[in-house]
Amino acid sequence: MTALVGAPSRRKDSGRPEAVARSPRLRRGMRKGRALEEVLGRLLAVIALFIAGLYGGGLLYLVARGGSRLVAFTSFATPLSDVDGEDVMRFALAAGLFGGLAWAVGMVARSVVARVRRGASRKADRIAHVATGVAALVGALAFRDHLPRFLISLPSETRAGGGIGPEIFNTIYFALLSTLVTLPVGVGAALYMARFATQKRFVGALRLALDTLASLPSIVYGLFGFLVFVVQMKLGYSLFAGAIVLAILNLPLMVGISEESLRAVPRELEEASLALGATPVQTALRVTVPYAWPGILSALVLTIGRVFAESAPLIMTAGTTVSRGTAYSLDPFRGGETLAVHLWYVNSAGLAPDRADVSAGTAAALVMLILFTNVLAARLARFGGAAGTRLRRATQ
Amino acid sequence: MSTAVARDRAPKEAAVRLLLVSCAGLVLLTTVAMLLFLGHAGLKGIREVGLVSLLSGVLWKPEADTYGGLPLIFGTFVSAAGAVVVGAVPAVLAALWTTELAPRSMRSFYRRTMEVAAAVPSVVYGWLALVYLVPQMEKVAHHVRGEGATGGEGLASAAVLLGVMIAPTVLLLSLDSLGRVPSSLRDASAALGASPWQTATRVILPSGWRGIVIAVFFGFARAAGETMAVQMVIGGARKLPDSAFSPTTTISTQIVMDMQNARPGSTGSNVLFAMSLVLLVVAVVVVLGTRWLTRDARTT
Repeated sequence: MTALVGAPSRRKDSGRPEAVARSPRLRRGMRKGRALEEVLGRLLAVIALFIAGLYGGGLLYLVARGGSRLVAFTSFATPLSDVDGEDVMRFALAAGLFGGLAWAVGMVARSVVARVRRGASRKADRIAHVATGVAALVGALAFRDHLPRFLISLPSETRAGGGIGPEIFNTIYFALLSTLVTLPVGVGAALYMARFATQKRFVGALRLALDTLASLPSIVYGLFGFLVFVVQMKLGYSLFAGAIVLAILNLPLMVGISEESLRAVPRELEEASLALGATPVQTALRVTVPYAWPGILSALVLTIGRVFAESAPLIMTAGTTVSRGTAYSLDPFRGGETLAVHLWYVNSAGLAPDRADVSAGTAAALVMLILFTNVLAARLARFGGAAGTRLRRATQ
Repeated sequence: MSTAVARDRAPKEAAVRLLLVSCAGLVLLTTVAMLLFLGHAGLKGIREVGLVSLLSGVLWKPEADTYGGLPLIFGTFVSAAGAVVVGAVPAVLAALWTTELAPRSMRSFYRRTMEVAAAVPSVVYGWLALVYLVPQMEKVAHHVRGEGATGGEGLASAAVLLGVMIAPTVLLLSLDSLGRVPSSLRDASAALGASPWQTATRVILPSGWRGIVIAVFFGFARAAGETMAVQMVIGGARKLPDSAFSPTTTISTQIVMDMQNARPGSTGSNVLFAMSLVLLVVAVVVVLGTRWLTRDARTT
């Protein structure tokens, strides 16, 4: 208490209100201060809630405005439009849609069950997984020809009724292609930096390089990709060039988060492995990386989110068009646009009369994809670390 | 970890180590290659046009071989600075409220919303701005500068759009930085009798200011480098703006628009690389500034 007596007189909630009440002038002054503080605090709250409302409302509006196009299932089967691979694409899209839907429902159901019964059982988890798979398969078989036309038809530059089928395919395909580079290189570099680095100067240079990459604007990556792949290597606009550029763009994020989760692996586990006679490489590959895997996966999902969102480097490396013949082709050396590029293209060069609706639908599809990746990344991150299922299982 | 205990026990061991080193080397090599390629083409552009006229010329007209980069640089920096005023300042205040004054239950929800908002593609923001912001801005322009004034697409729209775009990023980075302030400081401040507001403004803010400055830096860099969204609302006039509402252009916008038409290897293309060096300088300044601010806390 003696220390508190010497404290400045502007303190508010001292344990002795009667001492404050005895001096009316002091109290008035303090009340003024507190009122001002409260006003300022309220002001901050208003700003913060306004910002949250703006973004939350904006996101809801986006989904509501364009969402109707994404769920408009047709009662009549849509005939195939004679494009290679269209039937496979429809099947995959339907499976993805219904699988995702079942996954979301299962997740909500599981969290409700976990809240009621305290702790979910592994059996319930398995049932949920099987149910998700069955829902995807059944949905794909039953509804592949009744999917919303917007999702399966080709884009149209001049006439109304264009869809985003090839754009969805390209977006997913880009994610896959760039992951093929980002995952091994990113995890390799992160593992090196977290566990095997011997030369301080090399690591220092590496960190500087990663920091620089992280703060370069994406258009610079686009220029680099354009110069190297399109001009020097004469590949023209290609998915390959775009995927490599996106992979480089994503390296800082991937290495950063992977390294963090690799470093978070408890020392005891690694030391136990070493004590059992495993070499450092064996320990790293069989203990460290598996333990940190959820964190690595969540980093990967975040990089995929950026692939979905990026537009400027893709315009310069993969072009802005979709050609009818190769709309669903797996050939990585063809050009093609993603959803984000399409959204830009429709608004800046498109002549279709319904481009407002097409934009709204494309934006809604993009936002849904981003939401999905964010939820997935958050869930994966929760599985990692000390609270993760791996350690729980190992210690129980 | 005692990596020295069992080193290079088998050839496989060495091979894996080599693989990991080469992954790390690849990252380094890519960065260096990127900087070299851009620097090479950019320097060629600078030599062909001249640094002074490239930085101070007021007309950008590739079809007449006139490359004055001042409108581009001006547009980039002014729109990014406007974005910091519009977006970053409220974001920092909101972050302060969220970490210190908000009810505990709101924090994770707030964070989640902002994470999604930060991940929304910039073209989506651009499209929303094109449809909803530009008409409003036109009304404001007519109100301020009279009926005949050009408005809508222009510098002000771009600044507001960029502000809305960078606010979630700045907010999240500020949240991280304020969250890293040790809670022992909060407890000590409260024990001395400070109110939450006093703790927030006199303890937390002074301890976390470096992180906030870094957050604003990153916001500025992101705004300066943003391409497609800005392209949709800035109007694309390749001259210095007459007023805050008149259309102009930015470096990245001009790069993406002109690169489609410029013949690779020609002056028109090299000059664009030279302009991208300005963006590179911004990035390097941000990196060095960040490193300078975190020089005590950094671990290698």
